[in-house]
Amino acid sequence: MKQQSPVSLRFYILFTVFTWFGTSLIFAQTKHTVSGYITTLSSGEALSSAKVYVPALNKGALSNSYGFYSLTLPAGIHEVEFRYSGCPTVRKTLDLSAQDVTMNIELGLKDGEKSFDEVVVNGKKGDNVNSTKMGQIELDIEQIKRLPAFMGEVDVIKTIQLLPGVSSVSEGGQGFYVRGGGPDQNLVLLDEGVVYNAAHLFGFFSVFNSDAVKSVNLIKGGMPANYGGRMSSVLEVNMNEGNKKRFGVKGGIGLISSRLTVEGPLKKDKGSFIISGRRTYIDVLAKAAISDTSPFAGSGYFFYDLNAKFNYQLGEKDRIFFSGYYGKDVFTFADREGGFSADMPWGNGIAAFRWNHLFSSKLFMNVTATFTDYKFKFGSKQDEFKIEFLSGIQDYSTKVDFSYYPNDRHRIKWGANHIYHVFTPSSVSAAQDSIVFNTGNAQKLYSHEEAIYLMDEFDANDRLRINAGLRYTAFQHVGSFTRYVKGDISKPDTTITYGKGDLIKFYHGLEPRISFRYLTGEHSSIKGGYAYNYQFVHLTSLSAVSLPTDIWYPTTDIAKPEKGFQASLGYFQNFFDDKLETSVEVYYKGMKNMVEFKEGALPGDNVNDNTDNLLVFGEGWAYGAEFFIKKATGKFTGWIGYTWAKTERRFPDINNGKIYPAKYDRRHDLSVVGMYQFNDQWTISSSFIYATGNTLTLPTSWYVQDQNLLFNYGARNSTRMAPYHRLDISATWYDKAYKTKTDPATGKEIEVKKKLRNNVAISIYNVYSRANPFFLFVDNDGDFLNGDFKLTVKQVSLFPIIPSVTWNFEF
Amino acid sequence: MEFRVLIFLCGLLVLNSCTKEVKIDIPGYEKQLVVDGSIREGEPPIVLLSTTQNIYAPTDISAYLASFVSDAVVTISDGTNTVTLSKVCTDNLPPGTEPYAEAIFGMSIQELQALPSPLCVYTSFDPSIFGQIGKTYTLTISHQGKTYTSATKIETPVGLDYLNWKPEANAPTLGNLYGFMTDNPNTSDNFMWEMKHIGDPFYSKPFGPFFNDQFFNGLAFEFTLYNPMSFNDSTYTESERGFFREGDTVVLRLSKLGKAEYQFFDKKYNQIFSSGSPFATPINIPSNIQGGALGVWAGFSAWSDTVICLP
Repeated sequence: MKQQSPVSLRFYILFTVFTWFGTSLIFAQTKHTVSGYITTLSSGEALSSAKVYVPALNKGALSNSYGFYSLTLPAGIHEVEFRYSGCPTVRKTLDLSAQDVTMNIELGLKDGEKSFDEVVVNGKKGDNVNSTKMGQIELDIEQIKRLPAFMGEVDVIKTIQLLPGVSSVSEGGQGFYVRGGGPDQNLVLLDEGVVYNAAHLFGFFSVFNSDAVKSVNLIKGGMPANYGGRMSSVLEVNMNEGNKKRFGVKGGIGLISSRLTVEGPLKKDKGSFIISGRRTYIDVLAKAAISDTSPFAGSGYFFYDLNAKFNYQLGEKDRIFFSGYYGKDVFTFADREGGFSADMPWGNGIAAFRWNHLFSSKLFMNVTATFTDYKFKFGSKQDEFKIEFLSGIQDYSTKVDFSYYPNDRHRIKWGANHIYHVFTPSSVSAAQDSIVFNTGNAQKLYSHEEAIYLMDEFDANDRLRINAGLRYTAFQHVGSFTRYVKGDISKPDTTITYGKGDLIKFYHGLEPRISFRYLTGEHSSIKGGYAYNYQFVHLTSLSAVSLPTDIWYPTTDIAKPEKGFQASLGYFQNFFDDKLETSVEVYYKGMKNMVEFKEGALPGDNVNDNTDNLLVFGEGWAYGAEFFIKKATGKFTGWIGYTWAKTERRFPDINNGKIYPAKYDRRHDLSVVGMYQFNDQWTISSSFIYATGNTLTLPTSWYVQDQNLLFNYGARNSTRMAPYHRLDISATWYDKAYKTKTDPATGKEIEVKKKLRNNVAISIYNVYSRANPFFLFVDNDGDFLNGDFKLTVKQVSLFPIIPSVTWNFEF
Repeated sequence: MEFRVLIFLCGLLVLNSCTKEVKIDIPGYEKQLVVDGSIREGEPPIVLLSTTQNIYAPTDISAYLASFVSDAVVTISDGTNTVTLSKVCTDNLPPGTEPYAEAIFGMSIQELQALPSPLCVYTSFDPSIFGQIGKTYTLTISHQGKTYTSATKIETPVGLDYLNWKPEANAPTLGNLYGFMTDNPNTSDNFMWEMKHIGDPFYSKPFGPFFNDQFFNGLAFEFTLYNPMSFNDSTYTESERGFFREGDTVVLRLSKLGKAEYQFFDKKYNQIFSSGSPFATPINIPSNIQGGALGVWAGFSAWSDTVICLP
């Protein structure tokens, strides 16, 4: 195959850039631009994906995540529509005969104004057919709140698990698999800050407090070039900005936790803040159950999280945002009689600063600086012996993104980012009285990750839209670092030491991305996409289920970057004036340099060693077909998603090098979600899930050694658990939001919004109390000599039917 | 140890979960030879052979007995002498070997003799092949046309600097044993510890009898030892378990073993401890037997000390 030389490649890029810019200049001679921000009328918060549309020309544009839009039109007077789901359309006549126009628009209803519009579910009407986005779904938080919630805790991640192509790791688990990729292959972002562990309580709840969340966007295929660092998906969670017009309080009291949110203007229509907190009271309930004299007094568990966000408009061209998140789980165990105690805190801290600047009506810039800190600690004390295990990640990230709208046909983005990673995969310390044991140095790994990208979404003609991009990514593993070189069993280990800043290994590569949409009719299109990705961080797990003890490990001289591609093709067809959306997508994903622990590796094995010495590397692939039907409008809304998929792995050092199914290989995955709004006061919803059982590795045989019964395990993931299915229902009662009042001006009776609004959500999880498999194990009982020895395979199920009730309020 | 505790704590989460028996297809069973062999300083080699059983195979006493192998040819070589081991069965034990048979099979001599078919071990009473410090012993097994081999060395034993009993402040008739060890920084040491009351025929193993100097290489330190016998002794109350009583005379045996053998036992106890936990990885115990058999051939050297539990 002919290799493209770097020089010719650079030339090609420059040529393409100049072509785009040149084209825009030509167009600029006869066209003008309308630009501005689209915000909500009630709170002043930015509206993303609001549509700016000129019916006469059939031209339009969408606002970005900061609400900014730019649409270049031929010189003249135009009737422009501003649309957003659930909001009355605003029409403006704009004179673009001589100059560009800045038009900031507020959409929606005034606070207190009553809406008679029908409910509109997620997504933007017709957008699924028109956009080049493939495998991308935007969920509205209000819609998520209407769905049944496990123990009353509204959960964005459990909702995305109801979408085709997305599977949960286990019963109630937060980790999710997208199109056969591992849970570490999902880039989870909270206001652009990376969330490494998005779960509380071993995965049963997500770290995202629904009161603080504005929108959720999942990209499961056709990842655009402005995203990178993960191979499978991007889950973008955006926090509310806070109300710029008035102060407000909202909260909720649930079965296991309570929430409180305060928001308001820093300066009316200029800036706002929101502070939101949540805490569980499982520990309080446990304290009531365990007396002070109990040997287990002092044992308990709780989690909390705090979200805060501030934004301020410095002028017409500059806006700044500061977002923060801090959440922690704390698990304590005490056995006073046994002289044993343990504590296990873990959690994330994220801080993000963003600056938006408008260079012109066509050029938008966003600069982001984020800091992410994830820590896990386990400490235990047995009499005078103490041991502590620490692992964590710190990311210092800076990023700049430019959006350029040269004309109505091109939407160009380019940018760069840098991340300085500090990984502490494993740090163990142990002491007995004053004696400190030798557990090796705390293993810290330092690395730099950089990327630059350029992409253009352009309309080749009225039917064909292409999003083409190229991302160049690089990674340097740097010192200080100690490499343990393992000898064979008879030789001692040796070490190689690298100084601070020494370059240990450099990786780099190009990631081409392309997707297209071809309109086959007014309400139908064919879409395709190809994306190539590098991933420089790996999540390594020793257990069958996700745990906070799972170790994040960077690419090193031994652990190579994971890389893979995904190709997808889909047909999208809407019916009944876009009220019913349908799609069929097929995909194939190939992945290399995937990471697993060696067979038989144990967590303690990495003491006085590098974790990557315990890793083995292999490849994987996944393919499948996804079918999706969604009713987006009307009193009855919902969707049906079905996925047929196959996911396999091949590691030379696992399973004797033979192909084996991934543990989340699921042939069939069905989800049915429905919501019905009876009236302003009552909404019911229901969801049903059916999935092929997960795979696992069980012992195929037993034997006896020194009077101990031992097991010999069979081929990796060769056993499949029973299928998983579950029905959840919920009903939400809303207090009447409006009261009748006599208008003193007119003397007529009018309806005004109540200051205090509240609702009660009742959910029933697992309505028919299906005992779904969480895991299986082989149990032994009895004695050979007594003749009652028995080996049985047992299934553990976690959650039977669980009703819950949550009271939510807002004023 | 700390990770076992962590796994245990995580396991608490599912304490209230629902557990039921299920019938599920577990493919891939393959019959394999299992070797349970050891040789100690001054003692004869002992090799017990059996085969793996399908997870769904019958588990009555006949099936258990049928899993033992008695038609193999087993030889031991120390590089100079090569001895073919004899088969010694429970229905024809040489006089004086009954307690050994009880210890090996975990049954009383009456129970052993009541079995419908005898159990056999391979051993030799030829003193030339009794274990000696510093020697490497090669095991060769021929069974059903296949040959299995392994080698183990009896390492130089390592002892403690002292072993003391100290009473508990709030229960002065009970106490723990405290040992002091000075570890050699130039060697990688793997240990097994056991205890017995003086006069007992055999040692009792604690819950986790194997450890190595990974954490304390080159250090001198004091550590606590609990009473493993108390957990199988009905005269101990619940609150006494783990402690030594004032006036007890106990013997500590600290055995040294090789790295491959240690890995077998370390993984074995990890499997025993974590079996059934969803938070643990399925561990296949690494064997030091070549040829496709499971199990271990291990040489032990022992250091022992007797202590009277008095303040």
